[in-house]
Amino acid sequence: MHTVVAIKQVPDTSEAVDVVEIDTSGKDIKKEALVPKINDWDEYALEEAVQWKQKLGGTVTAVTVGPSEWDDILRRALAMGADMAIRIDEDAAAMDCYTVAKILTALISRLPYNLIMFGAQSEDFGSGQLGCMVAEMLGIPHATLVVSLHVGEGEVRVSRELEGGGLELYTLRLPALLTIQTGINRPRYVSFASIKKAREKELKVTSLSELGLSNEALTPMVRLEKLELTPTGKKAELISGSAEESATKLAMILKDSGVI
Amino acid sequence: MAEILVVAEHRKQSLADVSLEMLTKGRHLADQVSAELLAVVIGKDVNRYGPRLAQWADKVLAVKNDQLEDSQAEPYQKTLAPIIKERKPKLVLIGHSSFGMDLAPALAVDVGAPLATDCTNIAIDNGTITVTRAIYNGKVNALYSFAPSETLIVTGRPGEFLVEEGQKGGSIEEIEYLLDEEFDYKRFEGYIEPEVSEVDITKAEVLIAVGRGIKDKGNIELAEELASALGGVLACSRPVVDYGWLPSGHQVGLSGKTVKPKLYLALGISGAFQHMVGLRGSNMIVAINKDAKAPIFADADYGIVDDILKVIPILTQRINDLKS
Repeated sequence: MHTVVAIKQVPDTSEAVDVVEIDTSGKDIKKEALVPKINDWDEYALEEAVQWKQKLGGTVTAVTVGPSEWDDILRRALAMGADMAIRIDEDAAAMDCYTVAKILTALISRLPYNLIMFGAQSEDFGSGQLGCMVAEMLGIPHATLVVSLHVGEGEVRVSRELEGGGLELYTLRLPALLTIQTGINRPRYVSFASIKKAREKELKVTSLSELGLSNEALTPMVRLEKLELTPTGKKAELISGSAEESATKLAMILKDSGVI
Repeated sequence: MAEILVVAEHRKQSLADVSLEMLTKGRHLADQVSAELLAVVIGKDVNRYGPRLAQWADKVLAVKNDQLEDSQAEPYQKTLAPIIKERKPKLVLIGHSSFGMDLAPALAVDVGAPLATDCTNIAIDNGTITVTRAIYNGKVNALYSFAPSETLIVTGRPGEFLVEEGQKGGSIEEIEYLLDEEFDYKRFEGYIEPEVSEVDITKAEVLIAVGRGIKDKGNIELAEELASALGGVLACSRPVVDYGWLPSGHQVGLSGKTVKPKLYLALGISGAFQHMVGLRGSNMIVAINKDAKAPIFADADYGIVDDILKVIPILTQRINDLKS
């Protein structure tokens, strides 16, 4: 079975990072101080693809649209167990989902595939559009927000997440595209040594022109106009002091409010 | 006359809340630009939804399709695409739900319309539509515009547009629309109901909720001790379930439970909207997080900016002192 997994790199803006600033263009954030990482959802997608390869044989190919710095996440994918990685050398940061979907469709349609996996969404922009768009462009069935899957003969059974913790079950004919939700598996630990070793595997770089695409054909449908730091709404009354002092004050507040 | 189309989602004989939210927003926009609001619902017993949808819509298109019990992406896409191509609504509104995520991107490609998903605001100014989205973990708001197009598709974030009961009383048109497709390439096989857990966090008065900041399964015990001091129950955000630190029955949020305790004590939870929509009904929210910019502090009544692993044991001690 041949599986293609599309991945992306994102700047870490999670709770560990308290400084997110907008750059002078007003259309992006300052990324210099932020640590680049593989998109959380994509790591689960890669792990899932590699686990099924171990069960059924075949290949896993990791693909991305990004600048050369993104080779890091492709090497990581190779270290996790992907056989080949392909990067389309183009800065996707300024592109809308539709454009990136068109580019990935052009690449994937040239590859052998039975199953395609995307992360259900990205940590940075979180549109959750890409996989579903690529499936429609390729003319293959899709299921988004997949939390478990089982590959059978010519088909894949999936459960996808609904609101409130319920699941919806579908059987899709292969080839199919799935977008993977976090928690579907436990992504393996990737050591420095294994990333180094993965340098022996093939990392191909290609371009829009090699894929038969021109920049003119890639007019964005949606345009980012400006960014603003999120204004804080109702602000919590902050309890100050050392851990000792603040915990003591909070215990008193809870007592006064009748919780204790 | 210009038209705004709202796609109505239903499951198990009930309309999705987010569809009513989109109808409310759609009604406001339609009134603002003198457009008509059209609601489209597709399925087996669609006539049951007509009167409710007509509260907001000028016109309800109830598409009867006996093959379809509940809202599913493919039959909706195949039914909506020709309707959109023919009527060319200025704007199509869909809830950013599990169903909406499965439908909207494929539909947008199908009809060739620009798409913006998970929007927190939609505005029309001088005939131009713009949307706002929360990006980079909710730390930044982004304003988007669209390339010129007859139709735009926008999905709205659940819980972001408050429902106001509509008074419109629009007309209801029932049509039979049998798809010739069988959808054998994507067969619906049924539902799995949420797991029943031994604790019911929806009924608890005190919830001690842990997030990614608890760092390790072994630290859950600290939160458990605090919960027992407060006579409360453990809850959590999604990553804690993903990592296998607590069973899914404890999860609060969009893909978990909706809770309304007297006290919601959030420990190491950043406050992503997917989590926060589940606890809006809480009486008092207290957050402890070492990130001073965590969005949860915007919703909490009280906050401590510190390492939860330091604060929890002391807090447990103090509460036990106060009780004795």
